[in-house]
Amino acid sequence: MIEVKDLAKRFSRGRGAKAQVVPAVQGLSFTASDGVITGLLGPNGAGKTTTLRMIAALIEPDAGQIHVDGIDVARDPGRALARMGVLSDARGLYPRLTARENIVYYGRLQGMQADAASARAEQLAEMLELKPLLDRRTDGFSQGERMKTALARALVHDPSHIILDEPTNGLDVLSTRSLREALRHLRDDQRKCIVFSTHIMQEVERLCDQVVVVSHGRTVAEGSVEQLLERTGLTDFEACFVQLAFGEATP
Amino acid sequence: MSLAWIVFVKELLDALRDRRTLLVVVLSSVAVGPVMLVALSALVAGMEQRAESRELHAVGMEFAPTLRNYIERQGYAIKVAPADHEQQLVSRRFGDPVVVVPKDFERDLAEAVAPVVEVISSSANTRAQGSLGRIVGLLQGFNREQAALRLAYRGVAPALLQPLKLEERDLADPRSRAAQLTSMLPFFVLMAVLYGALHAAMDTTAGERERGSLEPLLMNPVPRSALVLGKWGAVACVGMLVAVLSCFSFLPAQWLLRSETLAAMFHFGLLEAAQFLALLLPLAAALSAVLMAVAIRCKTFKEAQASSTIVILAISLLPLVTVFNQDGERPWHLWVPALAQITLMGRVLKGETMAATDLLPPLLVAALLTALCVAYVARQLRRAAVR
Repeated sequence: MIEVKDLAKRFSRGRGAKAQVVPAVQGLSFTASDGVITGLLGPNGAGKTTTLRMIAALIEPDAGQIHVDGIDVARDPGRALARMGVLSDARGLYPRLTARENIVYYGRLQGMQADAASARAEQLAEMLELKPLLDRRTDGFSQGERMKTALARALVHDPSHIILDEPTNGLDVLSTRSLREALRHLRDDQRKCIVFSTHIMQEVERLCDQVVVVSHGRTVAEGSVEQLLERTGLTDFEACFVQLAFGEATP
Repeated sequence: MSLAWIVFVKELLDALRDRRTLLVVVLSSVAVGPVMLVALSALVAGMEQRAESRELHAVGMEFAPTLRNYIERQGYAIKVAPADHEQQLVSRRFGDPVVVVPKDFERDLAEAVAPVVEVISSSANTRAQGSLGRIVGLLQGFNREQAALRLAYRGVAPALLQPLKLEERDLADPRSRAAQLTSMLPFFVLMAVLYGALHAAMDTTAGERERGSLEPLLMNPVPRSALVLGKWGAVACVGMLVAVLSCFSFLPAQWLLRSETLAAMFHFGLLEAAQFLALLLPLAAALSAVLMAVAIRCKTFKEAQASSTIVILAISLLPLVTVFNQDGERPWHLWVPALAQITLMGRVLKGETMAATDLLPPLLVAALLTALCVAYVARQLRRAAVR
């Protein structure tokens, strides 16, 4: 379970007299439970990536707390990270290593033995339909193949929490479908806590059990797709999202 | 520590897989020794040949049988200089000074009117200038002989004209003489080490940022110090590999020496190679850390290449301190990275013994520099990942 409470982060741009303080996240809260797929839905620049980076202990929040299974991320980032598999916004691979070597490297860094990590890489390759590519260098991989390798790399240590930053970016229809299948499988069979950020309505409608609508760094609504539709009295989820995300700003 | 080892193994594998870059670096570092030595030996052999040639180029020697007799008695062969020798000397196509004897040489000599003998050379023509002293010395010898003969004819002891006896004594042993010629070698070895570490250093820092692989890497529960230590270890390893290769390339390169004198003077055995390595390995480690510290601030490989030019420039300019500074070696030279190594490698080539106390300052500086830069990279790592 991931609990995010009153998270805030400001960035300063520029230097000296021209310095500007830009609030990226201001008072964002949500709870993502085990066995549930939680979607962070928000327009570009709403603070989704910053939030996920703070959950992954890459950025220190200015205020607020993040707990992963009760572990305070700020205080014990190592233990928290061991429970998380993060597919971040940047998902670069090492082009001179094979897909397997890329995956095993992260497994080793997560404290796994080389054999176990290699076996796990094969298991994940099976699930993500990556098997024929496993022992090829990632240099010539397509975007979808890269994304699958990066996902396998994030999941190598079998984390109980999976955090994905816009995972379907650049994927074609078939790859998106197989990714959705994989995520459902992880939720239903392994009771993982899955959080992913997106700005694509379709994805949220098809996949998410719970939606957190984020706008201007704040949580503006939380609930299932049905609950959100009910709350706005609309039938189209896109219209519902526009009202929730921008309604208060542009009446 | 085991995490740092995992990072180290991966980074080393990654660097070794980069075959093309590695091949260029290794080939150029291995080629440095042989190429430099062969070029030097060709130069020295040419100089030796010229010195041993005992030839004199002259115009109008037929007017001076006395001079010809003297020169031939000294074992010199007289050759007729080409008609356009002046032009050829200026355009450097002709590499010997030319002696021009006047028509009335014998008559003037007999009448004790000093005939003017010209020695034509050009100070812009190094080859001709090289043998000028020899030719002038030869002609002075004729002068002395004639003077002695005239004095003896008049019953004066020639020794009266020499109240002073001059004797030159050269203190340089053959190796220190050779060191004048081989003084560029340490510089080339140093640059090979720098260029060896350069690519790997940029790839593990700026390259990692450019690929977008640094952010996910930091999302593993690994202390940043372990990540940086592993990366630095791999980069230093590549730099050290180049150092070892370029030092040991001098050993077989000696067989290629064409000049026997240089071969006798340039002694580079296992002991010298070991002393070079004792200097270069710590430097390779420090340079790796410095290059990483420079490159971690850069978002792309290209930017890192531009920034690292400063390091390359500094390393190539520091040794020049000895050239600009005519005061000779100063104690502080041993506290400046690169300069210290160049100075001490020069001593090794001169055959001087290197005291452990001399080795200490550069070692301390390298250790300090490494520690500082590694700590800096570790501090910058997280900021670099998200920016």
